[in-house]
Amino acid sequence: MRLKAQMATPDQAGSLVAGARGPRERSAWRMRLTKLDTKLSPYAYVSPFFLLFIAFGLFPLAYTAWVSLHSVSLQNVDEMTWVGLDNYSRLIHDDAFWNALLNTLTIGLISTVPQLMMALGLAHLLHYKLRGSTFFRVSMLMPYATSVAAATIVFAMLFGRDFGLINWFLGVFGVENIDWESGRWSSQIAISVIVTWRWTGYNALIYLAAMQAIPKDLYEAAEVDGASRWQQLRHVTIPGIKPTIVFTVIISTIGATQLFGEPLLFGGAGGYRGGADHQYQTLGLLLYEQGWFNFQLGRAAATAWTMFLIIMVAVAVNAFLAARGRSAFTIGRRRRHA
Amino acid sequence: MTVAPATVRRKLERRRVGERRAGTLTYVALILTTILAILPLYWTVVAASRSNADIAKTPPPFTPGENLFSNIRQALDQVDMVKALFNSLVVSGSIALGTVFFCTLAGFAFAKLRFRGSTVLLVIILATMMVPAQLGVVPLFILIAELGWVNQLQAVILPTLVSAFGVVFMRQYLINALPTEIIEAAVVDGASTFRIFRSIVLPAAKPAMAVLGMLTFLMAWNDFFWPIIALSSQNPTVQVALNSLGQGYVPDRSVILAGTLVGTVPVLVVFALLGKQIVGGIMEGAVKG
Amino acid sequence: MPIPRRTLRLSLLAVAAALALMVAGCGGDGDDEESGGATGAAESEEEITLTVGLFGTFGFEEAGLYDEYERLHPNITIEETSIEFEQDYYQALQTHLAGGAGLSDIQGIEVARIAEVTQTQPDKWVDLNEFGAEELADNFFPWKWEAGRTADGATIGLGTDTGPQAICYRTDLFQQAGLPTDRDELSALWEDWDDFIESGKQYMANAPKGSAFIDSASGLYNAIIGQSETQYYDEEGNPIYDTNPVVKDAWDIAVEAIQAGLTAKLEQFDQAWNQAFANGAFATISCPAWMIGYIKGQAGDAGAGKWDVASIPGDGGNWGGSYLSIPAASEHKEEAYALIEWLTAPEQQITMWTDAQHFPSSSIAAADGAVAAATDEYFSNAPIGEIFKESADDLPIATLGPKDGVVKDTISNGLNRVDQQGADPDEAWEQTLEEIASAIE
Repeated sequence: MRLKAQMATPDQAGSLVAGARGPRERSAWRMRLTKLDTKLSPYAYVSPFFLLFIAFGLFPLAYTAWVSLHSVSLQNVDEMTWVGLDNYSRLIHDDAFWNALLNTLTIGLISTVPQLMMALGLAHLLHYKLRGSTFFRVSMLMPYATSVAAATIVFAMLFGRDFGLINWFLGVFGVENIDWESGRWSSQIAISVIVTWRWTGYNALIYLAAMQAIPKDLYEAAEVDGASRWQQLRHVTIPGIKPTIVFTVIISTIGATQLFGEPLLFGGAGGYRGGADHQYQTLGLLLYEQGWFNFQLGRAAATAWTMFLIIMVAVAVNAFLAARGRSAFTIGRRRRHA
Repeated sequence: MTVAPATVRRKLERRRVGERRAGTLTYVALILTTILAILPLYWTVVAASRSNADIAKTPPPFTPGENLFSNIRQALDQVDMVKALFNSLVVSGSIALGTVFFCTLAGFAFAKLRFRGSTVLLVIILATMMVPAQLGVVPLFILIAELGWVNQLQAVILPTLVSAFGVVFMRQYLINALPTEIIEAAVVDGASTFRIFRSIVLPAAKPAMAVLGMLTFLMAWNDFFWPIIALSSQNPTVQVALNSLGQGYVPDRSVILAGTLVGTVPVLVVFALLGKQIVGGIMEGAVKG
Repeated sequence: MPIPRRTLRLSLLAVAAALALMVAGCGGDGDDEESGGATGAAESEEEITLTVGLFGTFGFEEAGLYDEYERLHPNITIEETSIEFEQDYYQALQTHLAGGAGLSDIQGIEVARIAEVTQTQPDKWVDLNEFGAEELADNFFPWKWEAGRTADGATIGLGTDTGPQAICYRTDLFQQAGLPTDRDELSALWEDWDDFIESGKQYMANAPKGSAFIDSASGLYNAIIGQSETQYYDEEGNPIYDTNPVVKDAWDIAVEAIQAGLTAKLEQFDQAWNQAFANGAFATISCPAWMIGYIKGQAGDAGAGKWDVASIPGDGGNWGGSYLSIPAASEHKEEAYALIEWLTAPEQQITMWTDAQHFPSSSIAAADGAVAAATDEYFSNAPIGEIFKESADDLPIATLGPKDGVVKDTISNGLNRVDQQGADPDEAWEQTLEEIASAIE
């Protein structure tokens, strides 16, 4: 509703371009100009972005693709030996790659699924009439404002084996000191906690916004049908914000696949290895280790492009499931209201 | 129509989601969540105000100590935090403004203008959202070095301006927020694209531009991977400066955390004050986007 | 939503508050951060700022050498940047070298990396012979000097320190466990590594609560391998890490220590390891000379007098040591050379030993009486000069290879797997070999 007041009405728009020429000349000249304008101006609008994009976005990408077909070391970037797809086949046969892939998957699941569910629950709670709602919303968003580096440093200390706050807290209940960093599940859970802490509040707000857009009469109809609050949540709220849920899932998936900062900083000195047994080495870390510690740029580039393919597949699968889900939902609704 | 008796009406009201007043349980859950959200930040203050030896004790300390200012002083001695904060402000501000500007232009073009190759270009942009960030660091650094920009702020600003997310965000928003009829009417009346942009699109896009600006500023402020490579401690942003903190024989973690606080406090304070607007902006962007 | 003016004012106030927080902490602003470089001073010479990029703790700043040089050369200002972990440092260095920018005038290079630098990228570094470095050859131990040169005879790096080895131990913990505390007695007792392990088992039988015999398995491993002439590469430059029996033997001894429960299960240079010095978590640690300063720094005043130094089992050995080099991209090559020549000169190396416990790589400095006479109060007045000199005299001339650093790190990591995660030693060994192969070939 606010928008209408700000936009120019058609009359105003037309009157903005009052000219002073004669009617016939004016329209012919203006028509040519308009045609040119319509054809060319889109490119003018897009080009600032694309010029930067080509220089700083595409060029590094193309270069990396080129490098992935060579054996290059960081010490001598100019000396490239052609190896074709060898880097890729080495990758497929490398245990480290499959380990990293599995870790990325498990950390991705542990850090996204509970997080989004909690975000949903929080949004539901925030949806009530609350006193101090702004306070709650802002404080839930604070973690999002901290940097990955700061958050991970603090959490690494909290999860310390001998002097961390969390082990001390668990010790009160008689639990022995857990070496969070050493174990496979423990380290992945710890990292997921960091990610969850940062993002839950943000996603909760996004869900909240979407929830507030659901028309009230849907809820009224459900109530009349005798639905409990839980059933309302399941059958009205969640389907109602489905597109938003899909959106957050896709963004979270992309983020989870690229997970890099948190595991790197969690591990401290040898963080790039993802732990002594590579127990929390994600694909992003593997790429980093290959390129910046083993200095094998060609192999790192191959890993990066493989990650890209994986992400594309993951997003495509997500989108496909979402589309199928939506059509199922529409069919369901149509049947109900028939 | 019969009016439902008072008791039934009240019962219905109790069941309606969204209008119901929150119960004790809800408040408890929310307060608990708030504590969990703030706890690590609080602990940062505690650790930053204690000495390194204190932090290593068992049980760890729970209350702030007295060393906050001396730790901050040490952090500032080791690293030029003032310069770093200023640089971060310049960098993040430029990135936010630039991103909003470029992405609104491009977003508008993709949303409402028809031109050849628009689908292809859009797909390319979408694809790059999925490319790992670490991928282009080496060629990017070589490029920056060729341009002579190493250690300069533009090395960090310009590559970060290309935000695929920004373009997609603005496009999505403008598709919903700009009824095509109005634009078509303006075209019929003979308005140039520029006129349309200036008088119709910009006012309509303001809320989304504000959200995008805030999110971009935040992301740019916290970015550390690329700045650490492109900049050095002679001309750092906050994250780069924090990286060189606490060096020496004994990595003093309380000093590191004190420095981290100084680097994060401005952002948190702004959040605390403008929180309502920021939250509103994110939520508005979520609905329209 | 438009921002209400009141909130805008409040937020400006908040930013001011944040700045005030910093100013309050700003009480004593350090003045060694001046970036000189501005021309137009009253000096007759141009004002130059030399940047020095180092890792870990070289100790030049702490020993006051920068201040002294700046006094001697008023037109020079020295700015040091130090990165804690050598791996992070080296990777940043290589990235910057690839772009030819972002480098300091002087960069430190660790001995595990020097072979790579001299063999694969001499073109990116200044040949110090251009400034007369050849004349300095006799200042240094021959093996140290040679390792800093390329096959063509160019000199890339001037040696800073070396790491002759000893064993540093806690006298109080030894006493509690019923072991002898006299350093001569222990030196005689520890003829070889088997004796050392035996002592370890004796210690663990009566160990004070919460303490282990040695800090880490990888520390033990590095001490042993540092005693060998052949390590990971042969004379022709072929990697032999998998076939060299010395490597496997060192690994096996470390594993034996793990299995006998002698280690504190720490990873060296980790946060937990740093803290463990002060907490008495371990009674011994393999002590290259540079570890002395490290122990003092980590254990603090509370540890004074509780430590001592004994000779290492076996023959001497070397662990660590670095070089100073000048990247070709530097804009102040001449001044930088003057600085590194001075920093690595015998007089300064003597100071670095007496003030900062970095053992000289200069044979002239090492022969100096002041070096041999050095004792350390913190370490129960141990004659560290004698102990480390003896070890240095025994130093084998190790064959270096380009990927020494990577191999060393990977093996340490493999030992951590066995130590901290309880992996099966044979499997861990096989896995380590695979990882090395993947990383360097």
